[in-house]
Amino acid sequence: MLAMIKRNLLLYFRDRSGVFFSLLGALISFVLYLVFLKKNMLTSWHQMPDAKVLLDTWLIGGTLAITSITTTLSSMALMVTDKEKHIVADLELTDAGPTRLFTSYLLSAAVIGALMQLAMFVIMWGGFYLTDGLTLSVTAVLNTLGLMVTSSLLAVVVNAAIVQGIHTVDSLGKLGTIVGTAAGFLVGTYIPIGTLPNFAQGMVKFIPGSYVAALYRQFLMDDKLKTAFSGNVAARNTFDRLMGVRLNWSTLLTQQETYLIMGLIFSGAVILVFGVEWLRLQRRRRVVREQ
Amino acid sequence: MLLEAQHLTKTFGDHVAVNAVDLQIEKGSFTALLGPNGAGKSTTMNMLIGLLQPTAGQVTYDHDPKLGVVFQGSVLDDILTVRENLQIRAGQYRHVPADRVAILSQQLGLTTFMSQRYGTLSGGQRRRVDIARALINEPDVLFLDEPTTGLDIQTRLAIWTLIQRLQRNRNLTVILTTHYLDEADAADKVIIIDHGRVLAQGTATEIKNRYAADKLTLISPDVAQLATRVTQKPLRRTADQLIFSLPTMQAALDILTANRSLISNFEFRPGTMDDAFLALTGKEMR
Repeated sequence: MLAMIKRNLLLYFRDRSGVFFSLLGALISFVLYLVFLKKNMLTSWHQMPDAKVLLDTWLIGGTLAITSITTTLSSMALMVTDKEKHIVADLELTDAGPTRLFTSYLLSAAVIGALMQLAMFVIMWGGFYLTDGLTLSVTAVLNTLGLMVTSSLLAVVVNAAIVQGIHTVDSLGKLGTIVGTAAGFLVGTYIPIGTLPNFAQGMVKFIPGSYVAALYRQFLMDDKLKTAFSGNVAARNTFDRLMGVRLNWSTLLTQQETYLIMGLIFSGAVILVFGVEWLRLQRRRRVVREQ
Repeated sequence: MLLEAQHLTKTFGDHVAVNAVDLQIEKGSFTALLGPNGAGKSTTMNMLIGLLQPTAGQVTYDHDPKLGVVFQGSVLDDILTVRENLQIRAGQYRHVPADRVAILSQQLGLTTFMSQRYGTLSGGQRRRVDIARALINEPDVLFLDEPTTGLDIQTRLAIWTLIQRLQRNRNLTVILTTHYLDEADAADKVIIIDHGRVLAQGTATEIKNRYAADKLTLISPDVAQLATRVTQKPLRRTADQLIFSLPTMQAALDILTANRSLISNFEFRPGTMDDAFLALTGKEMR
């Protein structure tokens, strides 16, 4: 399995232009945001202290969540290519076995997702450090790094559930375009969730990435929000709800609850994805035994 | 028998790709599956390998064999080097010694381009790497699906010699598909398949004797008289030539000795695999 993961990672990272465009895909929304939307949002936040850096961290959180979704999805293209080019037939001749092969695709996609988020984080933080003097506490950075791993694992299994039904690289590319376009809105990165109509808010809460974005924002913004609201709980809650720092079910979700929901989505997706894989294998074995 | 296939059948929808094929493969033998494009060779081979489930019939091995497969298309990664490709595949097997890839690269003459990317290799070099990949797990049976298609004649010969050497030195059982008829000549056993059916099987000589007629061309100053003296009807007749299609060399010898005085020159061509193949599969393209 390690050999296979090594192969997948080599194939991804050796394709330099592929890596570049994958990063650019995540960066472009970020850059466009800075050009078109930041000014507008800053004016509505003018009475907040540290409004600039708060908005910066808010944007970093949302963008990382998008990155986790799009990069893991595009790195799963290899799984589809191998199927399409019949490379799978050769791989399955080895002792690795189909389940391990499948798992190694998922794990390498998760590694890629985490590394790409790390790259994005460094780029964005670097940029905001230079322009707005953004600094982050050690705890915030450590939490963020941990969440990169969790979020890519979550994104991988959720994406895998979709990719399992796709058999050509062409259709996966089209799906990638759709997801890339929709993700920014669906996890509430471009427009704060609180300003969306009710139906859209409901939709956002259906997307696993929204919980990831909320956690990122909590980790990155918490210090600054504490100073900004200095104990004014009601105002803080309103802000959290409006900006998607904490998502609102019947009440605002705590960090534990958010993790719990992510854990449930993760487990559900794992059961679904491996269940489908298991059924596929069973069907194949039964055919063999019947002969 | 190392491998036996009984009544192997595969249908894709209404199309019958392989139709009740029976095969026996002996250990250490070299078998060529011969057939035109779309005859069902690859489908048969994929069922023997276990990549495709037969619609009916069965494949039995006498023990759980280790298989090596050289696929028709490339299954290695273009942007990885030869060494990376082989090491990664080796890593996916359980009991492959660490120096296996190095030894194989020596034996198959890959050492000069081990650090080159697979995608930049020539067709012949790629094929050798493909074969090295198939040999990583020291297989008992090596399957090759059209290993020489699209290669120039020198490379074809080199690949062919390599496969034969492997068969002899390692007592490897080799099963390959090809549509180059001359290649089948060198196999222990030739199986001619068309429309999913086995049309003939045996050694190349047996098949040629049975299905390929010998051709005798006589050149004569008096073609008309010669024609009357030979009871056999000629295949073709020109101003100074008579061409006969004969079942055996003996028949040709009889004609030649009986009509010595009327023959100024002759050419005798024993039946080739091409003749046998065309006789069996017909001349139409598909």
